[in-house]
Amino acid sequence: MAEIGTEATPRARRRAAAVNEGGNPGGGWRDHLGSLAFLAPGAIFLLAITVYPLAATARNSFYDATASNYVGLANYKEIFSTSSILVTFRNNVIWVIVFPFLVTFIGLVYGVLSERIRWSTAFKTIIFMPIVFSATASALVWRTIFDLDPHIGIVNATIQTASDWINPPGLYPVDPSAGQSVAGLVATGVSAGPKDSLESSSTVTAGNPVELGLIGISPATLQLVGAQTAVVPTASPGAVTGLVWRDFSPSNPTARGQVLPDELGFPGLKLTLLRSDGTSAGTAVSDAHGDFSFGSVGSGSYKVQIDSSNFSSGFTGIFWLGTQSLTPTSSLNQTAQALLSVPLVDISMILAYLWIWAGFAMVVIGAGLASLDREVLEAARLDGAGEWQTFRRMTMPMLAPVLIVVIVTMLINVLKIFDIILNMAPGSSQGDANTLALAMYNFGFTGGLGNWGLASALAVILFILVIPAIVLNLRRIRG
Amino acid sequence: MIGRKASTLGLGILLAVAACGGGNTASNSPSTSQNIGGSVTLWAEWSSSEQQAFKAALVPFTTSTGVTVNYTSKGSTISTALGSAIQGGAPPDVALVPDPGTVQTLAKQGSIKDLTSIVGSLSANYGDAWNQLVTANGKLYGVWFKGANKNTIWYNPAEFAAAGITTPPTTWEQVISDAATLKASGIAPFSLCTDIGWPVADFWQNIYLKTAGAASYNSLSTHATKWTDPTVTSAFTTFGQLVGDPSNLLGGLNGSLSNSYPTCVDKVFPKTGAQPKAAMVFEGDFVANEVKANSATYAPGTTGNGGAACSIDPAKTPCYNFFDFPAPAANAANQGAVQGAGDVAIMLKDTPQSEALVKYLAGPTGASIWATAGGFTSPNKTVPTSAYPDPVTQKDALALVNATSFVFSLDDLQGTWEPMMWQDMLNFLKTPSNVSAIQATMDTQATAGLGH
Repeated sequence: MAEIGTEATPRARRRAAAVNEGGNPGGGWRDHLGSLAFLAPGAIFLLAITVYPLAATARNSFYDATASNYVGLANYKEIFSTSSILVTFRNNVIWVIVFPFLVTFIGLVYGVLSERIRWSTAFKTIIFMPIVFSATASALVWRTIFDLDPHIGIVNATIQTASDWINPPGLYPVDPSAGQSVAGLVATGVSAGPKDSLESSSTVTAGNPVELGLIGISPATLQLVGAQTAVVPTASPGAVTGLVWRDFSPSNPTARGQVLPDELGFPGLKLTLLRSDGTSAGTAVSDAHGDFSFGSVGSGSYKVQIDSSNFSSGFTGIFWLGTQSLTPTSSLNQTAQALLSVPLVDISMILAYLWIWAGFAMVVIGAGLASLDREVLEAARLDGAGEWQTFRRMTMPMLAPVLIVVIVTMLINVLKIFDIILNMAPGSSQGDANTLALAMYNFGFTGGLGNWGLASALAVILFILVIPAIVLNLRRIRG
Repeated sequence: MIGRKASTLGLGILLAVAACGGGNTASNSPSTSQNIGGSVTLWAEWSSSEQQAFKAALVPFTTSTGVTVNYTSKGSTISTALGSAIQGGAPPDVALVPDPGTVQTLAKQGSIKDLTSIVGSLSANYGDAWNQLVTANGKLYGVWFKGANKNTIWYNPAEFAAAGITTPPTTWEQVISDAATLKASGIAPFSLCTDIGWPVADFWQNIYLKTAGAASYNSLSTHATKWTDPTVTSAFTTFGQLVGDPSNLLGGLNGSLSNSYPTCVDKVFPKTGAQPKAAMVFEGDFVANEVKANSATYAPGTTGNGGAACSIDPAKTPCYNFFDFPAPAANAANQGAVQGAGDVAIMLKDTPQSEALVKYLAGPTGASIWATAGGFTSPNKTVPTSAYPDPVTQKDALALVNATSFVFSLDDLQGTWEPMMWQDMLNFLKTPSNVSAIQATMDTQATAGLGH
């Protein structure tokens, strides 16, 4: 530090310039001791919890699972060649493309709306409220909301209520989505008919009672609708009579065809008597013993049909948190599927996340709207611009900086999305809903001692992906 | 992975402490009688009621040695926490870990102590299969404390009776035919706990053990046998006989993929006010804790409370029971093999206090106390059968100790690719026809994960 002295050295000139610009007054590093002392705690803090972990992670990404042996680029190679890891990139892309713009749009709508309605404070409070809940709690709530079982999930319950009103389920619902089929109920004297109905295997005539045996319905279901012991009806001249009964006896579980004392009738079945040309010759409903009778029919031969409406299960629930793809990719190979399918669970989670963050977007955009120059808008209106024109040509351009702040903030937010996926997607969907941040956690902290190398490599990739968004944000803050 | 759901604990623990304190035979009694004082830090995964039960099991140790045990629960990520603590240079004195894979890795790193001379003759308290899992280079590195029997299919005896099934299946073929009978009677045969991957893995591992045998199983677990091996294909095909037909599963495929543990248990053994929706549920012996938590009316075995017949209604006299996971008739030789899991104590710092604690955990005293409290089975042969509270638990514990061959839950030996293996198993459930592609994927992942 001996150079302090001669005016002529370039360094001294630079220093002098710094002083002139109001930089550091005085000279020599000793003069900085005071400020250094004040800076030190912050600098040490920054080094210890930001710079060191950053460097250590970058180093570990070139090492093996225990972070002890150098493996070169092996971790990166594995990431880009494993389809189950490539899925995480796809999901991050879906989130990044869909979420920031959607949340900004909704925030804008809410923002404009809240300026024009009464009770706007109450409205804003309600919309903003989800943001104060923990994301984990919100995720668990939304997992329940989207539950497959309509008794639990309100979305499916709502659809079911509407569906049942239009198309009520039968007394004996058979759910094809659960792998059940009406044909699976066939036991004795019946066979599958058209459109999920059943019909008697042989033709029937008046005066000869017919016995139709079904299985696959539990006694609890039958007792609930008042079933009693099955009774073979007596022959009745001029009428087609018969019995539909549960052809399953606990005392003799493989016996079919006999009406045993511990077997129940099927009450309330809607039946149709079909002529040989398939037209209806009458309808009947079975009684508590499973007996039915079609009175005063002619001498022809008929078939008895058990209507499909008896077995309609109605709406049984959409698996909102499932991995069924919204894009048709089933014909593609594994890697292409991993890159191109859009699982339904992603969309359900995005909806939940919108609920969480729409309030934030609304408040920021609302503040932007409030600070707009009203006179300019007023002038535009006076010049004859309509509402839409004013909004499109005046409000939007003036609001653009605010909208970009929201978009960029949300972009960074969803790039590192983690908690909602861990908590909202069921384990059976997590493989398809996985994101970079969650994969990083799973590799690093689950599965024995964890694979630190791979997790670190994912962290480095995530960091690199976030950099452009951060640079953009910093530029905006500076400018 | 073990489902960790502890039973309710009562004052029984305290009584058990008094009852079991002096009940050791001379040969098994750990030499912890002298008062050495001081303290020992101990990590394990157990929290809430399991933590209480474990602490109660440690009371005689503190009483006889004067050593204070500073227990910390680390939850299911204990292995990772341990790895970080070792790197950071501040590991606990003793830890109980749920996967022997971690024990092997740590032993190779030299991070844990050789227990051969410390445990000495107490190692005879465990079957060879158990000791082998925690032996590296001929040295013993762990002492088993808690075990779990995963060779159990739990069934509702009242539902079996309603379907006219008098004896539980003893072969895999009977499982399939009984499933058809149960469907005919109007109840779903299986409630799968597969909204997450590990229960599918446990199920498949049982099928692999019972079709390919324990030797192949152990070979597959170290990846000496490839995942593309025909034995693996055959196990998938056998598994597919059941899960390939969604009508065997409560709620079909989607229902299974959203059926979480322990909700899946509730579907078979419901709380009061609900009806069973399925007849069987497969998971380890920890299912029993869930059943008893649902209603105190559930009686172990095939007779309801007060000698009444088992009833479907949980408000009356419901029952719960299990049958051993059956091998296919052609592989009956593998019937005695048992898949299980457990927690093993390892020593990270050699102090007189940690040595005393390890010896105590190798003896029957602590395990007997927890066994009496319920929700616990011990792989330790010297824990008396009478310590277990009911015949079903006794049968379960005896199966664990007396297995002709015992294998550890395979997924827990896979280290870092375990979560991927779970996803692969779920993928099989979603597309059972896709066996060869799934096998190829698994083999690639195993190679990357295990390094060979």
